[in-house]
Amino acid sequence: MTSILSVSTIEMANEAEQTAKLRLCTRCVLPETFPGIVFDDEGVCNYCHRALVEEKLAAQRDVSRAKFEQLLEEVRGRGTYDVLVGWSGGKDSTYILARLLKEFQVRVLAFTFDNGFVSKQAFRNMEKLSDSLGVDHLIYKGRFDVMQRVFNSSAQGDELYPKSALGRASNICTSCMGIAKSLALRLCIEKNIPMTAFGWTPGQVPLASGIFKSNPQMIRKMQDAASGPMRRLVGDEAVRPYFLEEEHYEKPERFPYNISPLAFMVYDETKVYEYVQDLGWKRPKDTDANSTNCLLNSYAINIHLDQAHFHPYVAELAGLVREGRMEREEALKRIDAMPSQQVVDFVTDRLGVPRYKSTR
Amino acid sequence: MTRSDVEFQVHEFLMSNFIFDPAVSLGPDDSLLESDIVDSTGVLEVIMWLETTYNIKVEDSEVLPENLDSVRYMTNFILRKLDADVAIAS
Repeated sequence: MTSILSVSTIEMANEAEQTAKLRLCTRCVLPETFPGIVFDDEGVCNYCHRALVEEKLAAQRDVSRAKFEQLLEEVRGRGTYDVLVGWSGGKDSTYILARLLKEFQVRVLAFTFDNGFVSKQAFRNMEKLSDSLGVDHLIYKGRFDVMQRVFNSSAQGDELYPKSALGRASNICTSCMGIAKSLALRLCIEKNIPMTAFGWTPGQVPLASGIFKSNPQMIRKMQDAASGPMRRLVGDEAVRPYFLEEEHYEKPERFPYNISPLAFMVYDETKVYEYVQDLGWKRPKDTDANSTNCLLNSYAINIHLDQAHFHPYVAELAGLVREGRMEREEALKRIDAMPSQQVVDFVTDRLGVPRYKSTR
Repeated sequence: MTRSDVEFQVHEFLMSNFIFDPAVSLGPDDSLLESDIVDSTGVLEVIMWLETTYNIKVEDSEVLPENLDSVRYMTNFILRKLDADVAIAS
């Protein structure tokens, strides 16, 4: 007689085998399980066909840089700071922070949202670099009981977000980034900071649209959509500090420009590592292959792999491969590298949920 | 290009880039923002698609719900922009 446990084990093994045999785009690394994917006769996916060619990207970079420099001249000195930089402590945000300070001499407020799972080494990096770079640094630690409920609900796939959101990131990351971006916006309005910058890489956002002004009407609709599920989950009062309130919408002139500096800096991951390491930044040893600051990501990747049947970083990695910023082999290695089970166990224990092992 | 051509293209773009599931219906007046189909990153993708597909420039001041929040709004916006371009060229 077959026990329930052994049936489950067989199903898990079959699923893992299927995942390993997935058909991948022959140009980038998107798998057949990626939403909306279609392959041509040569196995190239529709996302590759839509991608901009290098000449267009280079032209876009020049346009974005000119636009940024012009904007900077217009807003410099207008507020408490010139720009709020979202600083996770990872390599990309550290890179843009340092380059903005050194090359553009902007007055920066570095802002970190602590979700309760930031690697200790990431904090050591931030402490060291905020001193050596000479930058004001604000760390906002979210209430852990609220974070716990939001992340656990996100992990369970409780339909907090539409299916399409899974194409960009895990639900856990979507929740965390939703709060972090909203807090950054709130701070910009309150402190009258005219620009906010994040270290989005090519692949994470379409960098061709890397500089744009937040519009209060659009933001209100987006905030309602993002905060609604969280409000229902943990209550209005618990999430109120993270999202905009009426007083913020009453100051539309203070809504900042959103900047993706990597839209006008040629992104080369190896050079990014070299640049930040020269400043004294050290890569954390406890994060997964795709994060250089967050431990929660290890759990988020496992959950996402089982729920969506593709890696949550695959779209970003595919974008980097497509634009020639990463070798395909390197991207495949990142996708295959499973996060440390020890770290996943640490995260689930801290979240107060049963230990979790991916079926992959 | 007729209104129905543009509306069809907008619908196709949203279905294949944001909704993915052919079983999900997207009506001409369904709000993309309220249903979280298009978020802050998604808006950037929409703008890039509009600019590259129709060769139009979307100004910051035009990134408004009344231009981008539904298939109908987006269609109207594209047609207005294309009309304006024709008027400028002539």
